[in-house]
Amino acid sequence: MIKEHLGKQLLFFDGGMGTLLQEKGLKPGELPEIWNLEHKEDVIDIHRQYFEAGSNVVLANTFGANALKFHDDSYSLEEIILAAVENAKEGARLGAKEEQETYIALDMGPTGKLLKPMGDLEFEDAYNAFKEAAVCAEKAGVDFVHIETMSDTYEVKAAVLAVKENTNLPVTVTMIFDERGKLLTGGTVPAVVALLEGLRVDAIGLNCGLGPKQMMPILEEMVKYTSLPIIVKPNAGLPKQKDGQTYYDVGAEEFASCMQEIVRMGACAIGGCCGTTPKHIKVMTEKCRGMRTKEVAWKEETIVSSYGQAVILGDKPLIIGERINPTGKKKFKQALKEHDIDYILREGITQQDKGAHILDVNVGLPDIDEAAVMREVIVELQSVTSLPLQIDTVDAKAMEQAMRIYNGKPMINSVNGKQESMDVVFPLVKKYGGCVVALTLDENGIPSDAKGRVEIAGKIIEEAKKYGIDKKDIVVDVLTMTISSEPDGAKTTLEALEMVRKAYGVRTVLGVSNISFGLPSRPVINANFYTMAMQKGLSAGIINPSSEAMMRSYHSFLALMNYDENCEKYIEMYAQAVPESAVKPSGAHMDLKTAIERGLKEEAGHISEMLLKDMESLEIINQYMIPALDTVGKGFENGTVFLPQLLMSAEAAKQAFSVLKQKMETEGAVQEKKEKIVLATVKGDIHDIGKNIVKVLLENYGFQVIDLGKDVDPKKILQTVKQEGITLVGLSALMTTTVTSMEETIKLLRKEAPDCKVMVGGAVLNQEYADMIGADFYGKDAMQSVYYAQSVLGK
Amino acid sequence: MDRKTKEAIRYLGYGKHKVEDRVLVQVRECFEELSRVIAKKSIYRTFDLEIKDHVIRIGTMEIKSRNLEKNLIGCESAVVFGATLGTGVDRLMHKYTLTDMSKAVILQACAAADLEEYCDSCQDEIVAMMNKENKYVRPRFSPGYGDFDIRHQEDMIRMLELPKTIGLTMTDSYMLTPVKSVTAVMGISSENTPCHRQGCESCQKKDCAYRRET
Repeated sequence: MIKEHLGKQLLFFDGGMGTLLQEKGLKPGELPEIWNLEHKEDVIDIHRQYFEAGSNVVLANTFGANALKFHDDSYSLEEIILAAVENAKEGARLGAKEEQETYIALDMGPTGKLLKPMGDLEFEDAYNAFKEAAVCAEKAGVDFVHIETMSDTYEVKAAVLAVKENTNLPVTVTMIFDERGKLLTGGTVPAVVALLEGLRVDAIGLNCGLGPKQMMPILEEMVKYTSLPIIVKPNAGLPKQKDGQTYYDVGAEEFASCMQEIVRMGACAIGGCCGTTPKHIKVMTEKCRGMRTKEVAWKEETIVSSYGQAVILGDKPLIIGERINPTGKKKFKQALKEHDIDYILREGITQQDKGAHILDVNVGLPDIDEAAVMREVIVELQSVTSLPLQIDTVDAKAMEQAMRIYNGKPMINSVNGKQESMDVVFPLVKKYGGCVVALTLDENGIPSDAKGRVEIAGKIIEEAKKYGIDKKDIVVDVLTMTISSEPDGAKTTLEALEMVRKAYGVRTVLGVSNISFGLPSRPVINANFYTMAMQKGLSAGIINPSSEAMMRSYHSFLALMNYDENCEKYIEMYAQAVPESAVKPSGAHMDLKTAIERGLKEEAGHISEMLLKDMESLEIINQYMIPALDTVGKGFENGTVFLPQLLMSAEAAKQAFSVLKQKMETEGAVQEKKEKIVLATVKGDIHDIGKNIVKVLLENYGFQVIDLGKDVDPKKILQTVKQEGITLVGLSALMTTTVTSMEETIKLLRKEAPDCKVMVGGAVLNQEYADMIGADFYGKDAMQSVYYAQSVLGK
Repeated sequence: MDRKTKEAIRYLGYGKHKVEDRVLVQVRECFEELSRVIAKKSIYRTFDLEIKDHVIRIGTMEIKSRNLEKNLIGCESAVVFGATLGTGVDRLMHKYTLTDMSKAVILQACAAADLEEYCDSCQDEIVAMMNKENKYVRPRFSPGYGDFDIRHQEDMIRMLELPKTIGLTMTDSYMLTPVKSVTAVMGISSENTPCHRQGCESCQKKDCAYRRET
């Protein structure tokens, strides 16, 4: 079994396949996998040479053998994989010596597509493609699956899950890093390590992209973070070009010497990638044979990660933003009910800008499909922030789905000492990876003393061990009790915090603000308690990073405890600070019309507030806002105002509207019912900036926009139109290839919702084209859509 | 005003009009912010070129396009080129789309200008290298220009192994992802035919609001 040897003795992989096939006549762009059947002898010969050169592991010629990359009508994927594995086995029969340990692995490369939300490939579609290949490979009798040349953590997660859930094969993973030590999708070494260790692969490492020398610093970093055996398969140097051909110029001797160094640094399986030949591998095995591998050291760090970064919970306290949570927030609840995902994303962005390191995500609300919303929010948040997320739910289904779809190693909130809870949560952590918050309560409730809480923490840590989950992935929350009802609450919590840390050496979190429930001026108590908890060694506080009081505590603590070198951050934050009383709302000398025309957002808000003291909302709208918007809109039409200015005015007007709206809400005034318009960027199209511009302007003019986003299925548009009784739909498309789906959408609407008007816009369209596909209106710019909407909906 | 800023302003539709100071400030901020997230990467390879009966053959790719043919006449080989600014730009754009639409629009223009500048600098390198061998490089021409079918993105992605080499992929409808990416063909000839480097002026869409003033 390969697993028994990985990390214990030095193993040799093979070298490049593509380069050798090209020498034998494979053309760039031709599918190398077809050669398994059509040029069988050539493929076998290459495998044979590698075994002769001393390789223990040979990868079958299946790099692109997945349904998303391999399109060929003549052969099925199964035929290809069976033949490929057979060829590798034949190579072993011909080339390996009797005493030579040999393994055949399925070579699993990327799909060549980018996953959503950045690209258009669904996570589950990637998963299914990999699953098909893995199942075939097991049938064909491979020893393990080697996933390689991956540059996206999300895709690699889909691949690993596909292999693990559908086969019993061991799985190893190597990824491509660039010279900055990053993946093409931005991931760092610790982020990759955290994810793959969480998914419990058997070995990890580096391949392709770089030569052996350039890989060394990245290897060094990987050795520092991982507790897994490391595989290194460099190219024969960096790619060079001559006469239009790519070539690599690190020779066999030089390559082999570098590989010796790489083994000394900590690699325990080595081989080559692009440009390496049987000769490279032969010299490498000769030079390295007999070398002892460095023992893989266990790492203690508590790490969570996203696609782009890893966050280590260490001595310096971190901030977990608590704002994505409906509890006690009317607006947030409403956003959830109305499926206003953008609102939730903005909460995330704000917290990131204010300094959060991890974002807690809780979307639990009765009457909504929590699992579906959680999944959507997780995916969307990861398209705007690279902060790791903390999945916060009591719904096991929502937790599993979120953990599956999450790109990284998440924080999980939470497990507790109840057997029932541990039985649900730990299998998920074992499967998907994660650091889990352990609440110190059990069937008997929350112990009133510190000792009791510490004991529960111990029980949870023991139970986790049964699943192979180490205590570094358990982050204990000794629970904050409200001091107004429990006078000793804070003392007990602080005592337990220190005890649990010392007893088990675990990291800790606390939801801080609960301490002050029922008291006036809560930020005062919260901030002080927060400082006290940090002094007791709190690893991460779950707080509101927009709370000035909390952030003052935080930055002061870092400065005081020398976590903020030269007090740099503190100085940056507070050097310019002015006493609160000195801050005056600006814009006192400007009228609202001017503020909007100039696009001054803050001023527009302040002035509206002041105007509200003597005027009615409607008066303000009619006297200042509508004239301002008209002036700007006309200017845009005449070519004197340009898009950025038009949108700045729109944002300023929006700010003013929101001030007026707030007033109307507090007064309980009946608000005018708004006409609804559906906007969508059509199926297949992912460029939605034009649609978003139109949205902002339509909202300005008092329409309610139902924004279905980009790449929207015609059926979804129709469904929304019917459900909401919509009479105007706006569609955008950027390219000729997607105008066809615009046409398709219009046809469907004509047939099923004949009363609904359709306006279209986008770079590729013109009046003629719009007429051809049967649109009612072509908006050559955003303002035209507003005027058309007004004419159709009678505003 | 530097060239990149001028290009961003042009993409914003200002033409010859004066740009508000606030917009200029935001343009500067956007370039700064972009510089923190951009991870630019590019790759190219030279392939044999053959034009026969209006079929252009570049490596294994076969193209029918009068516009490209005109561009490549007299060339013996062609460079196939791919470049991207990376996914960080997409995320930043999404962020501003949610929080500040005017900034999103400016950011998009700045990113486009960054990409053009990067492609120009890559092209300059290719030109310099080719000139050493007494070869000359034609202006770059991308799928989607004129009658050069956008579907050839797929061939070019495969020929250069773009997903693996620079992280450039495409959607089912042939849109490049990350969004700020380019694929292009550049003809290589032994004779120096005068050519403008820029593509805008040669476009047939003369009423375009974003057309560069010459």
